[in-house]
Amino acid sequence: MKVLVCIKQVPDMESHFKPNGSGTWFSESDLAWRMNEYDEYAVEQAVQVKEKLASEPELTVLSIGPDRIGEALKKAMAMGCDRAVHVQDNDSAAKDPWQIASIIAAYAKAQGFDLIFTGMQSQDRGSAQVGAIVAELLEYACVTTIVGFEFTGGAVTVKRELEGGIKGVARLKPPALFTCQLGLNVPRYPTLPNIMKAKKKEIQTIAVADLLREEPLSATTSFHAPARKGGGVVLEGDVGPMVDQLLAILREKTSVLR
Amino acid sequence: MEATREIYWNIGHGVVLPMYLLSMVAVAALAWGIWRRVPRYRLGKPLNRFDSYEERVKRMIADVFGQEKVARVKDGGLFHAFFFWGFGLLFIGTMLVMIQADFFTPLMRVNILSGEFYKAFSLVLDGAGLLAIVMLAGLFARRFFIRPEGLETSADDYRIHVLLFAILITGFLIEGARMAVTELRQDPGLAMFSPVGKLVAQLFTPYAEENIRTAHRLLWWLHFVLVMGFIAAIPYTKLRHIFLTSANAFFAPLEAKGTIATINLEDESIEQFGAATVKDLSWKDIFDADACTSCKRCQERCPAYSTDKPLSPMKVVRQIGEQAESAPDGNLVETVGQDAIWSCTTCRACQDICPANIEHVNKILEMRRNLTLMEGAFPGDEVRTAVGNIEVNGNPFGLAFAARGEWADGLPVIGMESGQEVDILYFAGCYASFDKRNREIAKSFVRICAAAGIRVGILGKEEKCCGEPVRKLGNEYLYQMLASGNIELIKGYGVKRIVTTCPHCFNTLGRDYRDLGLEVPVEHYSTYLHRLLESGRLEMSPDDFIFTYHDSCYLGRYMDIIDQPRELLAKAGGRIREMDRSGCDSFCCGAGGGRIVAEEKLGNRINVARVRMARETGAPLLVSNCPFCLTMFEDGVKTGGFEGEIMVRDLAEIVAARLTV
Ligand code: SF4
Ligand code: SF4
Repeated sequence: MKVLVCIKQVPDMESHFKPNGSGTWFSESDLAWRMNEYDEYAVEQAVQVKEKLASEPELTVLSIGPDRIGEALKKAMAMGCDRAVHVQDNDSAAKDPWQIASIIAAYAKAQGFDLIFTGMQSQDRGSAQVGAIVAELLEYACVTTIVGFEFTGGAVTVKRELEGGIKGVARLKPPALFTCQLGLNVPRYPTLPNIMKAKKKEIQTIAVADLLREEPLSATTSFHAPARKGGGVVLEGDVGPMVDQLLAILREKTSVLR
Repeated sequence: MEATREIYWNIGHGVVLPMYLLSMVAVAALAWGIWRRVPRYRLGKPLNRFDSYEERVKRMIADVFGQEKVARVKDGGLFHAFFFWGFGLLFIGTMLVMIQADFFTPLMRVNILSGEFYKAFSLVLDGAGLLAIVMLAGLFARRFFIRPEGLETSADDYRIHVLLFAILITGFLIEGARMAVTELRQDPGLAMFSPVGKLVAQLFTPYAEENIRTAHRLLWWLHFVLVMGFIAAIPYTKLRHIFLTSANAFFAPLEAKGTIATINLEDESIEQFGAATVKDLSWKDIFDADACTSCKRCQERCPAYSTDKPLSPMKVVRQIGEQAESAPDGNLVETVGQDAIWSCTTCRACQDICPANIEHVNKILEMRRNLTLMEGAFPGDEVRTAVGNIEVNGNPFGLAFAARGEWADGLPVIGMESGQEVDILYFAGCYASFDKRNREIAKSFVRICAAAGIRVGILGKEEKCCGEPVRKLGNEYLYQMLASGNIELIKGYGVKRIVTTCPHCFNTLGRDYRDLGLEVPVEHYSTYLHRLLESGRLEMSPDDFIFTYHDSCYLGRYMDIIDQPRELLAKAGGRIREMDRSGCDSFCCGAGGGRIVAEEKLGNRINVARVRMARETGAPLLVSNCPFCLTMFEDGVKTGGFEGEIMVRDLAEIVAARLTV
């Protein structure tokens, strides 16, 4: 059995984001990087499947990006993935979800993965499209935003989140792809022996050009902080005139006094 | 007639052979009893505690014969010390008699036990015997009648008390019987030098000499057998502490207090990190369990124990011993319990007071290392998050690392990256960098330095958590990653002196980083400012205030910095009202050992307990000099309902408010 986990390295959301030179994405200076939160659930779930099936499956973790993503791949391997695929791309941030999904599908097509796990979405772009498109391109069954996973008797039973807090249960047979949501599991903290072992695991590097055949279907045109929606007004002076001013403002700008 | 006495009076020299044979049996029983325990110690990992022989012997002699550690706690300790000295003198006296009788007399034909020396000898031994009996009575009353809370009494205690009383009393009875027949009649002047013996002798005088002699012989043998029994019983009862606790004074660590073994992460042969079983501890850790006297001093002082958490350092030590005996391959962490292991604040109160030189803190740390490094465990989800934050952003809050230096905006500091000359590097640490309340410490410190004309450099966004909380939580890997990053940076800038406002950074940079190659002198601002003041570089205009001062564990107990902050505060115009538990006896704020990032879910709150102690002094102001303490106390004032009754300030704030410039 073969399992693939697709992960992305994203900036920590507490970072100070600034637009880059072209104003179409954020600048990478002064950012702290970590594995996308939802992808951690994906890795954890894949490792749990492997543990349950007594090391039978081989776990591959894949990520697309520049050199820095090696850290995220190592973490996934320290958590329990067996090998890593690093699709080397210094310009991954500029690719749209269609292209990213195409790259993954191009890699996965010949590999015959039984199960594929991805995060529900990335914390930075948040398109939530990549997983579903990969499934479509590979013609795999797909369940998004899963919060429960069970693998028994060759079939998978998943719980997924529906609108308004309702949960749905689906049963399906591999090959299948799942996108993972918060609540699915608690990602493990890698143990030191596993961190050491991960250092020796194989990272296969593939140039993005070898996998990318598609043109983008969408383009990010601008990256900027939201415009400030007006400022506060501080009234000062004596109470009487301030009350008048306030009433005038309320009459003019709101409907409370009408 | 010269003052002396006949040795083996009424017993005869024929006793020598059986006496020595029996003594040898007793000593053999003693030796075997101790030797038999050695395989248990051998279960542990090797650790060299046989180096620096001379220093160790010196310390052992001072520790054992000085009884300093024992007597530090007056209750019980003073009785023990005086009993020890009394009993010890009797032992020396008996040895002198033996040497005289069986070496000097037959081999050299000299008598040292004569004349003035004999008089002094008699008097001293008589006094020593009396002292020992009185002290033993005190110990007896303490253990069986006015027992302090938590003191555990076992069958051993009954037997030992009876045995010791019997030895001492029979000793005086023999003396009395002998004197009744000899000195009292022949040399009453000499009898004055054995006042207790003389009193006892008077009990015998009504009886016929023959009867006294018979009684004397019987008593002599009884006394002798009791003493042999005492020697032989040592390894099989609590008396073993006589040897093992003394030996532990020899084995006590010589390194700086708080030293933790730095794991070599490059060593690929290591498969087990930390202690999962007793075998993963050192032999000394197992030996410690035997050296423990169950005096429960550690437990009494443990902030976790005192606030109803499931941790007793005494129990941990005992559990290690029991586990070594019953299940050396069993899961030690389970035996001790995760809740106990995570409850420790590494405050060192236990280790500091322990009369037996037992090392509690590192045992707990080793078990934490196992939990963290081998099992990826955390005391709670909030800790998991904080550790993740430290990994990503270099601070437990998860705030952007790039904002780390923002506290200094508009203040006279030099970013080290500018390459400008500085006098000190101020390693601000996470709390003073990011936490709103604690930023006042950093700002005050910089203002004070500016007033003293000191050029202060900071690492700003390049600085990372020193790694102390994660190291104390057992995460040696993350600690070393953080440390090596900081060290490389500090070395790269050619820093000459580092000053910290955080005692945890201070301990870590100044001591722990040495193992990883940082040699720059590191100082806590308490001593740094104290020197600036002494040298006249720093001037304050004092104004009157009343305060109480909290000794941070990592300054007081770990680094012996106790007087300087008090002197600084006195010069600032402060009048101190000490808490009962101050200096080396201080009570932790609750934040050490990585607990700063953990929620306190078990028992009641340590910080509230400490603020209450501060409040009880009547002082309206509690001064500390540690960002962790400040955080805990600000919280303790609120959650404990002390608002409006007591305020919390950092030493730096007090000084900065009184600058003359
Ligand atoms: S270090 Fe402090 S908290 Fe830990 S066991 Fe000792 S006394 Fe208790
Ligand atoms: S560990 Fe030390 S302080 Fe604690 S009970 Fe034993 S001897 Fe006493």
